[in-house]
Amino acid sequence: MTIFRSKLNFFIVIIFLTSCSSMNVTEENVYSEDIKTVKASSQSQTTENISFDSMAVFANATIYFEFDKSSLTSKSIQTLKSAVNALKDNQSIKITLAGHADERGTREYNLALGQRRAEAVSDYFVLNGINKNRITVKSYGEEKPVAYGQDEMSFAKNRRVEIN
Amino acid sequence: MKKILLMIFFSNFILSELVLEITQGTEDPFRAAVIKFDGEYEITTNVDQIIKNNLTRTGEFTILDNDDLLSIPNNESEIIFNDFKILNIDYLIIGNIANDYSNIKAEYQVFDIKKGSKVRSSTVFGIPNKNRQLAHYISDGIYEEITGIKGIASTKILYVTQNKEYRLVVADADGKNEQVLLESSEPIISPSWSPDSKKVAYVSFETGMAKVFIQDIASGNRELVIENSSQISSPAWSPDGKFLSLTMYQDGNAEIYILNLINKNLTRLTNHYAIDTESSWSTKGSKIMFTSGRSGSPQLYEINLRKSNAKPKRITFDGNYNAKGSYLPNNEGIVFVHRADTNFQIALKYFDENFIRPLTESQMDESPSISPNGNVIVYSIKEGGMGLLSGVTLSGAKFKLPAKEGSVREPAWSGFLR
Repeated sequence: MTIFRSKLNFFIVIIFLTSCSSMNVTEENVYSEDIKTVKASSQSQTTENISFDSMAVFANATIYFEFDKSSLTSKSIQTLKSAVNALKDNQSIKITLAGHADERGTREYNLALGQRRAEAVSDYFVLNGINKNRITVKSYGEEKPVAYGQDEMSFAKNRRVEIN
Repeated sequence: MKKILLMIFFSNFILSELVLEITQGTEDPFRAAVIKFDGEYEITTNVDQIIKNNLTRTGEFTILDNDDLLSIPNNESEIIFNDFKILNIDYLIIGNIANDYSNIKAEYQVFDIKKGSKVRSSTVFGIPNKNRQLAHYISDGIYEEITGIKGIASTKILYVTQNKEYRLVVADADGKNEQVLLESSEPIISPSWSPDSKKVAYVSFETGMAKVFIQDIASGNRELVIENSSQISSPAWSPDGKFLSLTMYQDGNAEIYILNLINKNLTRLTNHYAIDTESSWSTKGSKIMFTSGRSGSPQLYEINLRKSNAKPKRITFDGNYNAKGSYLPNNEGIVFVHRADTNFQIALKYFDENFIRPLTESQMDESPSISPNGNVIVYSIKEGGMGLLSGVTLSGAKFKLPAKEGSVREPAWSGFLR
């Protein structure tokens, strides 16, 4: 596969150089290569103020999605209905919705897709009477998979919103 | 002629250096011979070998083994042109390296065998214990002399590795001389160079959410570019270094904004309920390209910044996924991630053509980054679930930079440094 397109320019440059002088003389200094390593200190995971009873309702609540989609399935809505009830019963609970994507596609697009999925879940909560102030929405895109295979089963497990 | 302040610095050594493999070259390469540079052992070690590797990796050179040469000249007066002519050699490179006070002084000459004359005589002042860098400078001088195009051996590549920790790493363009810029227990994505290659911008999840940081390479000083409660990602510098385009999520959806780095003013660029992200600037800074899901699948769009209230114009129509575009340095086309059917490939589209040229053929090719001379594209691939870096030149040569350990991804090519 040869797709080199600048052949014409290339010849002009050579002709120009050779017509000016028979030899190029140059002198240069190398640049400094200073580099400093930084260590990022990760903030400790904020522990949510959740009572033991409601933890049981929310632990491992995960909503799954189709490829490149952020729409809720009827199965997801069943899961979300019980979550809405638990949130209504426990007004002190705040939740974090973390959206995720499978590894196919670009990282930034997947970050945005994960956000859309988390927002879709958030919208459902708000539509069903949950105050938006109780919800934090974020995305990890494809950065935190739960399944590592390169098959549809793994991909399906990774296209998710985790409710915590 | 450049005069740059020389400073000596002992770099951090880490073990997972990349190893280079050349998988395919061009059809009609230049034939060249590189003679071992004259001088003391410590300062000449590996210099000729690094030059040979650099030239070979371009895919445009065949470097003859010195055992196959008929004579080995140590200086100009010892050259017997006929010995090289018989072997059909196009160019001969000789040189010498000496200590010059506290510096290293390398002199090299390029001879055009067919013409029977010297075409270049150059001097490079290097830093002690930095043979590799010196060799890269010499390689670039030779490459530029012979091809008329600026070489990229002295440029750097930035990328993310994941082993136990996430690391943002900078290395020579050949994958050697790795140095860590940032270490974190949380993901790092979307690294990008400032136009002067002195700073990097990236997305770090260290605060528990995607945030954009700018870090000065030499000092390690870093800053969070915008402090708010929502996530921010996908930084891209304007060619003049004054602006950073970003994806912001404060409305709950990915939208592109332009941040003025001097007065911190934010200007909104996109406004659509679909995803808008992965912005990149044209070489002159007059256009921004981005990925948008507004047509129902990810496609590339362009906004003309010179027109007020310009509407985004769709620029990709073939394939069901076209994303993460960047402009060729000559602005003649774009390079992006393309999916026609099921595989993600790196593809090129020239503006004066109405078809896409796929450049790669594996299944999960991502994150293309173009060398500053526009000749090479480095990108990430997946093999057995591991991320590796791979490269393809526009002249058709291919190479791979497999990591010895961990997963490597999201390469970003620096600007010219010499």
